[in-house]
Amino acid sequence: MTRWRTITDRLLVLVIILAAWQIGSAIVGPYWLSSPWAVTSRFVAQMLSGELIRQSGYTIWESVCGAVAGGVPAVLLPFLLRRHPLMVAILDPFMVGGYGAPKLAFAPLFILWFGIGIESKIALVASVVFFIVYFNTLAGVRALDPKLVQMAQIAGASERHVARHIVFPAAVPYIFAGLRIAVPYAIGGAIIAELISSNRGLGYLVQTGAMNFDTTSVFAAILAATLIVHGANWMVNASERVLLRWRPQTAVMVDAGD
Amino acid sequence: MAQPPLLEIKDLGKRFPARAGREPPPWVIQGLSFAVRPGEFLTIIGPSGAGKSTLLNMIAQIDTVTAGEIVFDGQAVNSHDPRTLRPGVDRRIGYVTQDDNLLPWRTTIDNVLFPIEVQGRLNDQTRAHAEMLVRAVGLAGYERYYPHELSGGMRKRAALIRTLAYDPPMILMDEPFGAVDAQTRMQLQADLLKLWELGRKTIIFVTHDITEAIALGDRALVLSRQPARIAAEHAIPIPRPRNVQDIFALEGFAAIYERIRAAIQ
Repeated sequence: MTRWRTITDRLLVLVIILAAWQIGSAIVGPYWLSSPWAVTSRFVAQMLSGELIRQSGYTIWESVCGAVAGGVPAVLLPFLLRRHPLMVAILDPFMVGGYGAPKLAFAPLFILWFGIGIESKIALVASVVFFIVYFNTLAGVRALDPKLVQMAQIAGASERHVARHIVFPAAVPYIFAGLRIAVPYAIGGAIIAELISSNRGLGYLVQTGAMNFDTTSVFAAILAATLIVHGANWMVNASERVLLRWRPQTAVMVDAGD
Repeated sequence: MAQPPLLEIKDLGKRFPARAGREPPPWVIQGLSFAVRPGEFLTIIGPSGAGKSTLLNMIAQIDTVTAGEIVFDGQAVNSHDPRTLRPGVDRRIGYVTQDDNLLPWRTTIDNVLFPIEVQGRLNDQTRAHAEMLVRAVGLAGYERYYPHELSGGMRKRAALIRTLAYDPPMILMDEPFGAVDAQTRMQLQADLLKLWELGRKTIIFVTHDITEAIALGDRALVLSRQPARIAAEHAIPIPRPRNVQDIFALEGFAAIYERIRAAIQ
C-alpha cells in the first residue's frame, strides 16, 4: 500500500513541477525557457534519430572509464596502506587537499594536458571519483572490528585471507556509500569537461544548444543526463542490495529514488 | 597420570604499558602458575576484572606476556614482542571468546567452515563433520541464515562449533555463555559436555559462575583479585557423564560449591 502511495505521490510532485515549468515558460517566453512539451518532443525526436543516444553513449563511456580509473585505485590504496598507518598519516593532508580542491576548476588544465578528446574527460571524472571513494573506503578499513581479525588469525588465516575475507567485506558498505555520492559527480564531471571543450557528448549538445539560443535542445540534453544519473543510481542500489543481503534490513539506507 | 602437561603456565605476569606521564598501572596478573593435562577440562573462576580474559589472550598469543613463561606441548610459546606473536600457535589453540565474532556476511554454515576454508582443508569429510556438529547443537535448518537472523543462543552455538569443527587439540573458552538467559545457558552447557565427551579435547573454560565451573570441569582454579594469582584449586570428582540440569542434586556438589565460595571471599 505504502509503495503505491509513494508512486502516486511522486507522480503528483512531477505534475506540479511540470505545471510550474509550463507556466514559467508561458510567462518569460519559450525563447528563454523552453516548455516541457517542446522539450519532451525534442527529446523523443532526438532519441529516435539516434543523436541523443549516441551523444549520451559518449558521456556514459567517459564517466564509466573515469569512475574505473579513479575508483579502482581509491579502493585498493586503503587496503595496501592498512598495515602502514604512518603512510596514511603522511598522505592525509594531501588527500584532504585533493578532496577539497575544486576539481571542476582543473577541467581547463586537463584539456590543456590531455587534449579535447576522451582522455581529458576521463582525467576529470577520475580525479573527482578518486577522493570521494578513497575517504569512504579508508573509513571502512578503519572501522573494522579488530576482534574479527584476531578470530581469523587464531583460526589460521594468513594476511591475504584476512584482507579478502574480513577487511574487504567489512569495507563494502562504506565503498557503496562512496559510490552513491561519486556516481552523480562522475557524470556531472564528464559533462562539465565536455562543456568546456568537446565535439561530442551531452555537454557538447548543451553548449551548442545554448550558443544557438535553442533552450529546447539544452533541456533535452539535461533531461538525458538526469535520466542517466537515475539509471546509474538504480544500478548502484541494485548491486548493493545483492552484495549486502547479509545486512539486517533496518541497516540498509533509504534508497534514493529508483 | 605421568603424562606431561599439554600446557604449563610458569610464574606468569602481565601489566599493561604506562600512558605517557602517568604512573605505570598495577600488575593485572602476577606469579601465576598452573598446568593442564591433555584431555582435561579445567575451569577457572575469578571475579569480574580479575584478568581472566587477559590470561586467555596471552595463551592464545594475541597478547604479549610481561613476565614468566607459557609452555605449550613442550615448547615455550610466550612472546614479549607483539610482532612475534603467533595467534593460535599454528591452529593448535582454539579460542571461543565472550563475543561470538561471527562474520556478519557469512551464513551459519560458512561461518562454521571459515577456519577449515582458510586452512585449505575444505573437503567432503570436513564438510560432513561440520554439518554433523551443526545438527548436534540444534542448528539444523539454520545453515543458510545470516548471524543477524539468529538468536543469541544460536550465535553462541555457531561460534562454539566453528572452533570445534577444525579440531584444535586445545580450546580456550572465555565466558562463552555469559550473555544468554539461564535456560539457554544450561542447554549450551549440556551441548558442550556432549561434544566434549565425543572428542575429549583439552579445555580451559573461564567463568565467574561457580555452578558452571563445577558442572563442566574436572578441576577448578580460583583466581584472586588483582593481581590475579591462584587462590585455590579444587578437584571435582563428580562422575561423568553429568546431567547439568540436576547438577545441584548430585553428591558432592554442595560441598565443592561451599568450598569454592569460601575461597572467593
